[in-house]
Amino acid sequence: MNEKCSRFRFFLDYEKEEKWVNEMAKEGWHLTDFNIGYYKFEKGAPGQYIYRNEMVSSLGAKGQVKDYLEFLQQSGVELVKTRGMWAYFRKATEDGPFELYSDTSSKLAYMKRIFLWFFFFFLLNFYFTISNIGEESVFQVILGSLNLLAAILLFIPLVKVGKKIGQLKKNLDLFND
Amino acid sequence: MKQELAPLTEGVYYILLSLYEPRHGYGMIQFTEEMTNGRVKLGAGTIYGAIKTLLDRGWIKAFEEDGRKKEYIITEQGKEVIEYEILRLRELFDNGIRITGGSEK
Repeated sequence: MNEKCSRFRFFLDYEKEEKWVNEMAKEGWHLTDFNIGYYKFEKGAPGQYIYRNEMVSSLGAKGQVKDYLEFLQQSGVELVKTRGMWAYFRKATEDGPFELYSDTSSKLAYMKRIFLWFFFFFLLNFYFTISNIGEESVFQVILGSLNLLAAILLFIPLVKVGKKIGQLKKNLDLFND
Repeated sequence: MKQELAPLTEGVYYILLSLYEPRHGYGMIQFTEEMTNGRVKLGAGTIYGAIKTLLDRGWIKAFEEDGRKKEYIITEQGKEVIEYEILRLRELFDNGIRITGGSEK
C-alpha cells in the first residue's frame, strides 16, 4: 500500500484549488478523493500526473453527465472522483499538456455554465437571508446569517468568473478560436 | 464569395476532416494532433461539446457502436461546409501571399 495523507483546506476559487492540487502532485502527492475543504492524497512519483477540475453536473439532464464522464474516460482522461457538482480528472504528465477545453469558445461556454450556477446559489442564499433575518425566532436569525455568509462567499467567485467571461469575449473580438 | 457561414474554429475544421473516415472522440483528437504535428491538441471537453453541436446541425452522424465507443462520420451537408471553408481559406491565403509576398521562414 502506498503512503497516504489528508489535508484540510478551504478554497473559494476553484482555479486556485486546482493549482494547489497540481503543486501537491509535483511533490508526489496525488489526489484520490476530495470534499468541501478536505482532500486525500496518495504518495507516488513526483509530477506523474496533471490534474484538472470541472463543474460537471451543470450539463443538463442526469444521463448527460454519465455520458460525458464516459466520453472523457474513453478519450484517455482518468476520472479521479466526482463529488456533487465537481469532478477531478487527471492524465499522465508524459502524455503532454492536458486541458479539458482547448479553445476560447468552449472555455467561454463552460465559464457561462459556472457563472449561472454560482448566480443561482447566490440568489437562493440571498432570498433566504431576507426571509430569515428579521424574524423573531433566534433559529431563523442564525439561519439567515448563515445564508448571508454563503451569499457573500459565493459573490467572490461570481465576480471572478464574470471578469473571466469578459476577457474571453474580448479574445473572440480578435481571434475566432 | 457570400458570407453564408461564419469561419469554423480550428477544432471544428479538424473534427470534420477527421470524420471522412469513421472515428470516435479519441480518434479525432489523435488525428488532429498528427495532422498539425502536435500544434492543435483538442481538449476532451471541447470535442464533446463540438460533437453535440455538429450532430444537432446535421454535419456529422453516428456511424455504428464499436463496443461502448460511439463512432461518427461526416454527412453530405458537413462535406459542403468543409468545401466552402476550404474556398474561404484559399481566399485568405491567396490574398495574404499577394500582399505580403509570403514568408521566407
